[in-house]
Amino acid sequence: MSGAKVNLKNIFKSWNDTPALNDISLDIPAGKFTALLGPSGCGKSTALRIVSGLEEPSSGQVFIGGHDVTHTPPAARDIAMVFQSYALFPHLNVAENIVFGLRVRGIVRKDRDEKLKATAQLLGLSELLDRKPSQLSGGQQQRVALGRAIVANKSIFLMDEPLSNLDAKLRAEMREEIRALQHRLGVTMLYVTHDQVEAVTMADQVVLMNHGRVEQVASPRVMYENPATLFAAKFIGTPPMVTFSPQLLSHTLAPNLLQKSRDLTFGIRPESFTINNSGPINGTVGNIEYLGADTLIECKVEDEFLLCRAPGQTQLTEGAAINLAFNVKDLHVFNTTSGQRTDEILPEIEMALPSQNASSKLAR
Amino acid sequence: MVFLITFTHYPAVQTVISSFFSTGRGRRKSVFIGWDNYTTLLLDEVFWKVLVNNFWYAVWTIPLSIILSLAMALWVNDKLRGRGFLRMAYFTPTVLPLIAVANIWLFFYTPGFGLIDQIRGLFGFAEQNWMGSPDTALYSMIAVAIWKEAGFFMIFYLAALQTIPPSLREAAAIEGASKFYYFRRVIFPLLMPTTLFVSINAIINSFRLVDHILVMTEGGPNNSSSLLLFYIYEVAFDYWDTAYAATLTVVMLAILTTVAIGQFFFLDKKVHYK
Repeated sequence: MSGAKVNLKNIFKSWNDTPALNDISLDIPAGKFTALLGPSGCGKSTALRIVSGLEEPSSGQVFIGGHDVTHTPPAARDIAMVFQSYALFPHLNVAENIVFGLRVRGIVRKDRDEKLKATAQLLGLSELLDRKPSQLSGGQQQRVALGRAIVANKSIFLMDEPLSNLDAKLRAEMREEIRALQHRLGVTMLYVTHDQVEAVTMADQVVLMNHGRVEQVASPRVMYENPATLFAAKFIGTPPMVTFSPQLLSHTLAPNLLQKSRDLTFGIRPESFTINNSGPINGTVGNIEYLGADTLIECKVEDEFLLCRAPGQTQLTEGAAINLAFNVKDLHVFNTTSGQRTDEILPEIEMALPSQNASSKLAR
Repeated sequence: MVFLITFTHYPAVQTVISSFFSTGRGRRKSVFIGWDNYTTLLLDEVFWKVLVNNFWYAVWTIPLSIILSLAMALWVNDKLRGRGFLRMAYFTPTVLPLIAVANIWLFFYTPGFGLIDQIRGLFGFAEQNWMGSPDTALYSMIAVAIWKEAGFFMIFYLAALQTIPPSLREAAAIEGASKFYYFRRVIFPLLMPTTLFVSINAIINSFRLVDHILVMTEGGPNNSSSLLLFYIYEVAFDYWDTAYAATLTVVMLAILTTVAIGQFFFLDKKVHYK
């Protein structure tokens, strides 16, 4: 079994005039793990269902393995799918659930039993084959759903928030398991999730969606370090990127530079701030959230709140004055109205705001 | 509990007791006659006739109304335009008072100028006295019963169908299951509890029918459309042979109980409950 690539070309989809997908074009590489990430209602599940063939796009084309499958029924698309609710047949036992598709295709009993045995072993379900889905735990049901997908021997796996019904611990386990499974089978995985941790930990490529559009397609690392839009910056990372208006740097930036950056929004990851008496951002300490290894410090500057991640042992009291510094290479600049990243102004800011080691002579 | 005893348990016990006594008439007191009523029953041609009628009535109405109601439910459960109207339309026969319904059907069945005969006339068939001929009277009743019950049972099937998550259909579609395969392997088994419930109801209804026989045929001609309960009604309130009516009732209850229990135990093993 090996993967096949999936391409979406200018896909539009609307439900009675309500647009769900707005000109989606995507290349999903063969044999890789791609996560479709976004808030609820962003169209990620719709996109998945269009790939599966359960939904037809209003316009646009779907290619699987280079073939146009826009009007091909789901069964002929070389896909297997795992549903959020698992969609197990409640009256059939585990074994019958797994081989349901094989029976549909009229595979002879001997082959069926062989495949069932291998799949059950792979997923640790061998002892549970006679049980009904209602007698299984959430994690076991999840495995059965996976089993049904594996036994089908298809080259593309589609998963629609498969872990959202599990508790946190099990979710972490299944995350690894699904990831390992994808490696082992070499299939193309298209995985829908609203949980950025899932996307970042599991995927080779993350497709971030919002309002029926693709915000960014990148590896998790690139998406974290180089978000293409304000939305991507705010969506990825816990806590998300801190954004603030350039006005907060009015002490440091020259008036003409401030004027230039009036339509811009600055962003910095909480961990990129350092507490530095000579830092360019001057505020007071607000809420402090102690997390053990880290402390999250809310820093009130004018009427904005900046979140700073400091080492756990940092001792501060609420209301005390605090100065934050940052490295210009950690600064992200976005256009406020379009939300797009604009790096052009960075060199000028770098000139005005030298690296934090040198910044001491600037302040006060 | 008091009400239950007064109106259900006491009459039931009293019925059994009455069946061992003769019917009291003005001068003659009712006396204990043991199994005499039951012997009469075994020799009563009319009893056997209505029992056979009832058998055919059940054999036709139960499966047909179940199949029809299931088909209608599957149809109106689909996404199709005006399904709200369709659901209502199918349910109407159940809401209408039976007497009114029976009258409407009487018009349909009227020999010569009834709706059915008029349509038959278009194709050159001869007139047919649907309700008046012993060959067709029972089947005419059966048609009415199916028409009425199917809509009612459809509601139960529809309710059950709505509880089946659509993702099951999608999962089956991805595996390449045809509509019929999906119905056979998934929908039908999941509807089994409903089918059991509906079929028990159908059996009870088939024995419980009085009103529309009364309006349409009064059991005639020559008892050809009479059913067990209607016969009991006749014996009890036309001939005032209450003891014999009690005997018939006991027999009917015995039949119903046996059927219901049998059905429960037979089908229960095959039914998947959630």
